Amino acid sequence: MLKIRNLHATIENKEILRGINLDINHGEVHAIMGPNGSGKSTLSAVLAGREIYKVTKGEVLFDGKNLFDLSPEERAREGLFLAFQYPVEIPGVSIVNFLKTALEEKRKHLGLEPMSPSEFLKMMREKKELVEFDSKLENRAVNAGFSGGEKKKNEILQMAFLDPKLAILDETDSGLDIDALRIVANGVNKLKNENNSFVVITHYQRLLDYIVPDFVHVVFNGRIVKSGDKNLALELEEKGYDWIKKEVDELNN
Amino acid sequence: MKLLTKDDFINIHKKNGEALAPEKIKEIACDFLQKNDLPTTKDENWKKTDIKRILKHRFEYGKKIDLDKFVVSMYNVSGTYANVLVFVNGHFCEDLTKITDEQHIFVFKNIAKAKTENHEIFDKYFNKSDIHNEHYFSALNTAYAEDGAFIYIKQNSVIENPIHVYNFVDGDNRKITSMLRNLIVAQKGSKAHVIFSYHSLSEDYFLTNVATEIFVEQNAYLDFNTFQGEGDDAFQINNTRVHQKKDSRFYSQTITMCGNIVRNDLNINIDGENCYTELNGLYFPDREQHFDNTINMNHKVGHSLSNQFYRGVLENNATAVFYGNVNIFKDAVKTEVHQKNNNILLSKHAKIHSKPHLIIHNDDVIASHGSTVGQLDKEALFYMQSRGIGQKKARTLLLTAFANEVIDKIQVPQFHFYTKFLLEKRMKGDKTDGMCSNMGACRG
Repeated sequence: MLKIRNLHATIENKEILRGINLDINHGEVHAIMGPNGSGKSTLSAVLAGREIYKVTKGEVLFDGKNLFDLSPEERAREGLFLAFQYPVEIPGVSIVNFLKTALEEKRKHLGLEPMSPSEFLKMMREKKELVEFDSKLENRAVNAGFSGGEKKKNEILQMAFLDPKLAILDETDSGLDIDALRIVANGVNKLKNENNSFVVITHYQRLLDYIVPDFVHVVFNGRIVKSGDKNLALELEEKGYDWIKKEVDELNN
Repeated sequence: MKLLTKDDFINIHKKNGEALAPEKIKEIACDFLQKNDLPTTKDENWKKTDIKRILKHRFEYGKKIDLDKFVVSMYNVSGTYANVLVFVNGHFCEDLTKITDEQHIFVFKNIAKAKTENHEIFDKYFNKSDIHNEHYFSALNTAYAEDGAFIYIKQNSVIENPIHVYNFVDGDNRKITSMLRNLIVAQKGSKAHVIFSYHSLSEDYFLTNVATEIFVEQNAYLDFNTFQGEGDDAFQINNTRVHQKKDSRFYSQTITMCGNIVRNDLNINIDGENCYTELNGLYFPDREQHFDNTINMNHKVGHSLSNQFYRGVLENNATAVFYGNVNIFKDAVKTEVHQKNNNILLSKHAKIHSKPHLIIHNDDVIASHGSTVGQLDKEALFYMQSRGIGQKKARTLLLTAFANEVIDKIQVPQFHFYTKFLLEKRMKGDKTDGMCSNMGACRG
């Protein structure tokens, strides 16, 4: 599904990613962990197509297509989804209108007929239920005046709507209380199937209690320095990152 | 190139039909014309609006042209049930008049006729706001205008349907100037919704000079809408002066979609306590267009509340002015004023001159003002793109949302619909300048 090969990326001439390699197959959940400033969020931003980052080397294949040939909106329509760490407020555009537009654009891209209003409403009802989304919010402007938890739930609602092949959750757990965390995680678990994949970027192990990863990767200094199964996350929780830094240093010397 | 002089304007107008103004008022206005010059950028209120571009054209007096009913029906600004008067080049088209509300609760006719048929009201109100002293063009209008709309809402009457005045300009390959002089009186306890819309029927150079006096009497409610949709080469100088008596409410929505140089002076005078005033505006200049909204909000008496809310979207080389003067007099205690002006510049060449100007002569007031200038929110654009929404569509959604906050202040449902419709067209890239009809006749 996603093949990342020797990916290098810079921001304002400062190299952040220094050779990321990662393979993600259908039906897998990958967790990416690592200390602050290691490049986790940069990786998600580069994949989503944020302009301020420059890819200097390497390639990314998404279902066989060169990801960097696609605009951000084309990537989304092809089935890539990024749940933002800080979802953006869009005053004056209602959630319903936003979702309807996004869905229309995706269906057009895939050569499908636009949905009828009744189909759309039915879908809206189902997805809202799936992610326990408060109906009161749907006619409000996207994220405008939402609490942190509401914003994150809105991300998961959008994810449910767009039904991506690959979803990247960028620190979706940050700023969430335990109930919101459970709702967000349940949403992901319900959407998970053998055809889609998830990348969960997080600082903390606690999200991984709810969304159990198949693989855990540790990013440090712009590279994946260690990979393992879910037990690696537990080990990190217990020991912190220092031992990994030490291992890397020893390797380099 | 020789520019038009102030005398040229007098010569254009004085040799034509009979002026509205009674002799005495005409004398006062002519006196003003003699003592004052055309506005220049040296005048405080005209610093950012240079009328030289207007004066380059040898305008001539606009003739009366017969208009087919079908043409008017293409500009469905106010819906089928509206009360309608139609003017072309400042001349009244009597056969296109339509009255849908009961005739005995209001008077809606051309002012030249009202001058004789309703002379008591005419004499009581005509030029009583001293609108002639705003600037050269308002004095010219006062001295020489021949016709316009007369709207008189009788005491305690509620006019259900909108009262709509169309003004078309039609040049027939000539450069035309015309004037319109309007008088609106909302008597005690009355309520009405009024729309003035401006359109051009040909692609010629125009100069339309409008002066409107509005008197909102005690406890009356007046909703006043202006729609400006003239062509790329149409200049408009539009001057409105309002007097509000105690307990009255006045709402104004000014939507400027197209034109060349459009200058709107909106001058509000609070003469009584417990008044409410709401001034909303939306301007969308493109290319070389220049739209200027100059507001004078005069709180002469206290215990009143006023709100100004203007938004603009500027494309290409367009420029705009928002000059929001608020003057709170010494005795006008417990006055509350708010002013907000937001602008989005879509190109690095577009320019907005936004100047809030609050003069407050007592310390028992609540006042706020805010002015913003920015580009489209890049973060929001990317967020939408990351959901599969193309850049153009995302831009449209954001701009529409921005403009809708003003459009949603429009109280007349059909006019609200019309404005939204045009905005959507404009967003799709269709040019809505020139013939702003909703039949797709907009020229591109």
